[in-house]
Amino acid sequence: MIKLDNVTKVYNNEVLALRDASFEVAKGEFVFLVGTSGSGKSTLLRLINREEAADRGEVWVAGGNINNLSSRDVPKLRRKMGNVFQDYKLLLNKTVFENVAFALEVIGSPKHVIRQQVPAILELVGLAGKQERFPNQLSGGEQQRVSIARAFVNRPLILLADEPTGNLDPATGEGIMRLLDRINKTGTTVVMATHDRNIVNMMRRRVIELDRGIIIRDQARGVYE
Amino acid sequence: MFSRIGYIIRETLANLTRNLTLTIASLLTVIVSLSFVGFVFLIQDAVGNQLGTWKDGVEVSVFMNPDASPDQIEGVRRALEPAQNSLIRSSRYVNAADALVEIKKLFPSTPEMTDLFSKDGQGVPTSFRIKPTSTESTVISSITSTFRTMPGVSIVRSADQAIAFIRKISSFARWGLGVGAVSLLAAAVLLIWNTIRTAMFARRREIEVMKLVGATNWFIRWPFIIEGMVQGLLGAAIACGLVWTGKNLWRSKVIGSFGSQLNFDTLQATASQFRSVIILLLVIGAVAGSVASAIASSRFLDV
Repeated sequence: MIKLDNVTKVYNNEVLALRDASFEVAKGEFVFLVGTSGSGKSTLLRLINREEAADRGEVWVAGGNINNLSSRDVPKLRRKMGNVFQDYKLLLNKTVFENVAFALEVIGSPKHVIRQQVPAILELVGLAGKQERFPNQLSGGEQQRVSIARAFVNRPLILLADEPTGNLDPATGEGIMRLLDRINKTGTTVVMATHDRNIVNMMRRRVIELDRGIIIRDQARGVYE
Repeated sequence: MFSRIGYIIRETLANLTRNLTLTIASLLTVIVSLSFVGFVFLIQDAVGNQLGTWKDGVEVSVFMNPDASPDQIEGVRRALEPAQNSLIRSSRYVNAADALVEIKKLFPSTPEMTDLFSKDGQGVPTSFRIKPTSTESTVISSITSTFRTMPGVSIVRSADQAIAFIRKISSFARWGLGVGAVSLLAAAVLLIWNTIRTAMFARRREIEVMKLVGATNWFIRWPFIIEGMVQGLLGAAIACGLVWTGKNLWRSKVIGSFGSQLNFDTLQATASQFRSVIILLLVIGAVAGSVASAIASSRFLDV
């Protein structure tokens, strides 16, 4: 599903963010990316969703090489994946329903699909009664659920999560983690960058550890360390 | 498809009202600049029409001395035969009585003018009115110089200088207004550009999310481009109103009051010329607005 082949990324010709990273993620797999801040976790995710292009090496997603993707084809790639962020990136002037519907609207889904899909996905993430609330009327955990609903509503092949529990207390974070786990069990490949030692140790999934841009560990059913 | 059109309309309206001050600033600039453009074209049309009318009637007048002898008059008449001079199409003699009638017609409100002459027109200079074969100024001046020196001739006049003068004035007005119009239009384009940029900056979060969930660049850009186009079109429409008002005022207050007396009835654009100017203004407005916003929206789309 995802394959990196000796990928190097340098920002502004001087900051080495990632060096010779190679790994492969199979369909339906769950992978934690761990490492300190600045170790290259976010860069890795940004290379996969093509917010950044690799300087060297090749990135493959869903069977296609995305190195030389034209700007016209980037949207097609993005529709195959959902993104979840530490700061949720919700639109504050839109309701919960509208925030999730937005993801379908902008890819041109018809109204009846939106009316049917959005409540279903909100039910799945546990926000059934809160469709008409605005983001700042929700707790952090609830906001993150909205953002997961938005990422998952068009049933992507891949879900990329960048510190999704970073702003949440441990109990709420665990709830989010269980939700991501459920999404993973539907066959969606999940790649999650995290600092959250407890969650990594609890889940016992594949762990890729980065240190200053270099992959120093790739371990099945790993722990945080 | 319908939800998409609805989306574009909703977003465009929201954008236009969100940045009201900037929208008004660019709108005003579009209005003023396009009004100038409109007036430039109307003046050009009007002057063209008037020159056309005048040229059709261009005459060279050979005025005789009041005391010219019948022989001298006959001499000039013979020299004016088209057979004698290939530059002359036709000519007619205006005797003293006819000349007096003409003067009365030219100055209806000042009878003092005609009182200077006796009732039978004694003392009024007689003249030959010549239609040249062409209104080229070389032809006119050649005729002028031929007859100026003939015995009994006092002076030769033509509308040549008058036409040249009108041409000069109108080209001056066109240049002045034209330069003003172009610089204002440039200002309008820059203002629209800046409005769109500000609108995109205000919505950068939304645009970022849109890109991440796989919206195409065109999907994101359309509302902005249409916003720019609406600004251009709206400004052009108001400018059309101003130009229309100006044209009507000119027609009723100036042409209506003095046009027939001073012989510039046709110093105005025709209805079809006016229509073309209106269409041109709307097209310029729409194109300038969409181009400015298209450039701005592609330039600032890389979130």
